[in-house]
Amino acid sequence: MSSEPQRPGSREVLDYTEEYGYHSDQHSLRLRRGPSRVSNQNPPQFDWSSPHEEEDEESSSGPPRDLRATPLPMALKRAIRQVQQMQVPVVSSRDSWKRKKAKSLRKLKDCGMGFLSFFSLWNKTLQKIGGNFGGGVQSYFLFLRFLVVLNFVSFLLIAGFVLVPSIVFRSVGAALVNSTGHGACMVYDPNPEGLVVFYNYFLDLLSGTGFMEYSYLFYGYYNNTMVEDKNFSYNIPLAYLFTAVFYFVFCLICIIARMGTAARVVVATGSSTVGDYSMIVFTSWDYGCLGDRATKLKQKNIHYQLQVDLEEESIKKRAAALTLSQKIVLYSLRVSMCLVSFGLIIAAFYGIFAATEFSQVKSGQGGILGLFFEYLPSIVITAGNFVVPLLCDQIALIERYSPSTTVIVALLRSVFLRLVSLGVLLFTLWRQITCEGAENTGECKLCQYNHALYPCWETRVGQEMYKLTLFDFLINIAVLFLVEFPRRMVVDNWSNKLAQWVGRQEFVVPANVLGLVYGQTVVWTGALFCPLLPLINTLKFILLFYFMKITLFHNCRPALKTFRSTTSTFFFLVVLLFGLGLGTVVMIYSLSEIRPSMSCGPFRFFPSMWSIVPTSFNNLSIVTQEFLFFIGSQSFSIPLFALSCVVMCYFVALASVYGKSVALLRAQIKLEGRDKQFLVKQIEMLSGRQQILKQTAGASS
Amino acid sequence: MGTTASQLGKDMLSEYQELTFLTKQEILLAHKRFTELLTKDEKDLPNTRVQMERILTLPELKSNPFRKRICNVFSTSEYKDGGLTFEDFLDLLSAFSDSATLEIKSHYAFRIFDFDDDGTLDCGDLEKLVNCLTGETDDTRLTPEEMRQLINNILEESDIDKDGTVNLSEFQHVISRSPDFVSSFKIVL
Repeated sequence: MSSEPQRPGSREVLDYTEEYGYHSDQHSLRLRRGPSRVSNQNPPQFDWSSPHEEEDEESSSGPPRDLRATPLPMALKRAIRQVQQMQVPVVSSRDSWKRKKAKSLRKLKDCGMGFLSFFSLWNKTLQKIGGNFGGGVQSYFLFLRFLVVLNFVSFLLIAGFVLVPSIVFRSVGAALVNSTGHGACMVYDPNPEGLVVFYNYFLDLLSGTGFMEYSYLFYGYYNNTMVEDKNFSYNIPLAYLFTAVFYFVFCLICIIARMGTAARVVVATGSSTVGDYSMIVFTSWDYGCLGDRATKLKQKNIHYQLQVDLEEESIKKRAAALTLSQKIVLYSLRVSMCLVSFGLIIAAFYGIFAATEFSQVKSGQGGILGLFFEYLPSIVITAGNFVVPLLCDQIALIERYSPSTTVIVALLRSVFLRLVSLGVLLFTLWRQITCEGAENTGECKLCQYNHALYPCWETRVGQEMYKLTLFDFLINIAVLFLVEFPRRMVVDNWSNKLAQWVGRQEFVVPANVLGLVYGQTVVWTGALFCPLLPLINTLKFILLFYFMKITLFHNCRPALKTFRSTTSTFFFLVVLLFGLGLGTVVMIYSLSEIRPSMSCGPFRFFPSMWSIVPTSFNNLSIVTQEFLFFIGSQSFSIPLFALSCVVMCYFVALASVYGKSVALLRAQIKLEGRDKQFLVKQIEMLSGRQQILKQTAGASS
Repeated sequence: MGTTASQLGKDMLSEYQELTFLTKQEILLAHKRFTELLTKDEKDLPNTRVQMERILTLPELKSNPFRKRICNVFSTSEYKDGGLTFEDFLDLLSAFSDSATLEIKSHYAFRIFDFDDDGTLDCGDLEKLVNCLTGETDDTRLTPEEMRQLINNILEESDIDKDGTVNLSEFQHVISRSPDFVSSFKIVL
């Protein structure tokens, strides 16, 4: 019946449901016959209900498939379900128990997901942002939400193990170690006496001095207490140390877990150079776009992207055809521009260095001028972070890389600038605290740190980080109100050419993400010295979320250049890891190398912060000590290392096998395609011969 | 199957939960939005089919350039006019939901892009697809040379068996390499 010629002019849908077991590509073979007839006006409609037949044979033998995942209309799904329920499959009781378990587990999982989604913050807002501004901007807000949650959970950690016990045991506990001597080192008076002018409170709030200095905010307030009871003992310095270390480990685990999903996708998609056009055309439409304006914007985006890619292709073809002399000119231009950008960055570093030195020298002055000197390093850092990336962007344009490379190069330079400028600030502080590394000379001879300038140096470092955080936040708000809102008002109400050329603010994702990474790095660097900094940062990021949302919806137009959201999430997390690395280096150095202040803090009389661990170690039971020694010894760590090598080799082998099978399957598809083409030609040839035979038979009869 | 009665029966609700990827709240919300599209007389009839024009007044579909294709793909009407019953509507939301699998999303995406419904994406389908993506106005359309170059590039990249068209497995192969597809192929009420 299926080989009969189609009635000319009929609008019948070729129905393939009766042909069980045929594969879908055989359908397309038959279809290829159809359109070749001149009489057939309408190309045959493909019936999509047939491909499920081949899977139906499996379903009677295996466990019932998830019906939801079959691409059929509801009525057919219901029919299949009824058939499945009527079939009494011959299964053992064990199989049916397994199936019931799987079903209830799935229901539980669905319930759990529903419950969790109730708790996740800001879901509706993020959806709205994604619909109106695209995935790139949404990834910035997702990253911000991740940081808010990370900071809040770390604050709970710190509060639970350090803050609350400190508050509870403040009056109860006894000091761990006492020491006499070095009287000059133990002088520390954070609270100035006498009447304080009222606006000083405000200045103190901004700079962490005065009433804020000797409080739970900073390291100096925590005491060297240890509580021992019959069954219960709590050692605050040990808790402080372990909480700080665990905080870093916890953040590392969270970031890597989040990178895991993104990395899996990046690795699976492989080289993104091939398949870009089909990827854009098939996958770039965002069905969540709401409204005419968002749709038109998205269409303009896609149009722009396609044009840019097509243009890049022709540029590449032209670049491959450059002569040798042109290539030399281009490369020398790139090298010189690189040197220029390095020079700019080094100039910025020197500026920060000089400003920090100057600020330290002038510290102690009161009033507004004093505040200005306190904030001088932060001001210089922020100015550098603002000016240098602008210049780097222009330099990158001169270098004439392809557009995607330009973005990455400019970003990397900005990251380098921001993180290392923070490092320069820390370096200057270190120089002054430890008298330039020579701890037995000059001012540092008595206490091994500069007690004259810094009676409690950890609090001082904590204050610097606190000021950086606060200043970063204030600058963001100030830019919002003083630059973006007026810009929008000017552009909207003043219609001349200059205003239109400047245009509305564009929400630039990479620069804003770098701001977040910088803020988080400051918190990581300062968490050891200012335990409440994660809480302050949580509040800062929450406020930032709302302010950024407001400016996005009121002032910004979407960026014309789209930013790929999943690869960019991975890149954000990699940059965040750099920041974590910097924080870890600072923490490890402070723990092990610098002598803690003798006048304040929980590590008062220890030669280094880490030395409390060996001291408490001796208080543990013999069995525990021996167990811990065993874990640290070679007889445990070498077999563990060998085992992890074996496991890693296994996974590498597995990955290479999967890659090979993907390549093999691709080749197989190509071969089957060629077979198909051969068979089509055969069929056409045979049907042509059949036609001729019929005609000659008809003519002769 | 009185699915357009003002209340959904409990057994119908659990059946829909089993046959689609939607949660209970989503099904109830879909029912509410669907009944808002019905006129007073239609509300009492069981299994009414709502015409495409009324479905396209939903804000989630109103400005989507593929709205007509979506209605046609999910419609089970024998007149092929794109009208949807409530169950077709649930099928639509299920395929576009958060928890739908990549296979089902790519299957329906392929059907939506197949403008002439012949089971493969040929040059005509691809050209119509690109025009929908970039907008139909003159300043956003690609020039004919750009279009030709683009279609050649697409076929070169994704047509593995070199038959001049993209079939379902080749399409799914391209989709599987895209990390953003699942999150962008989403319509949530």
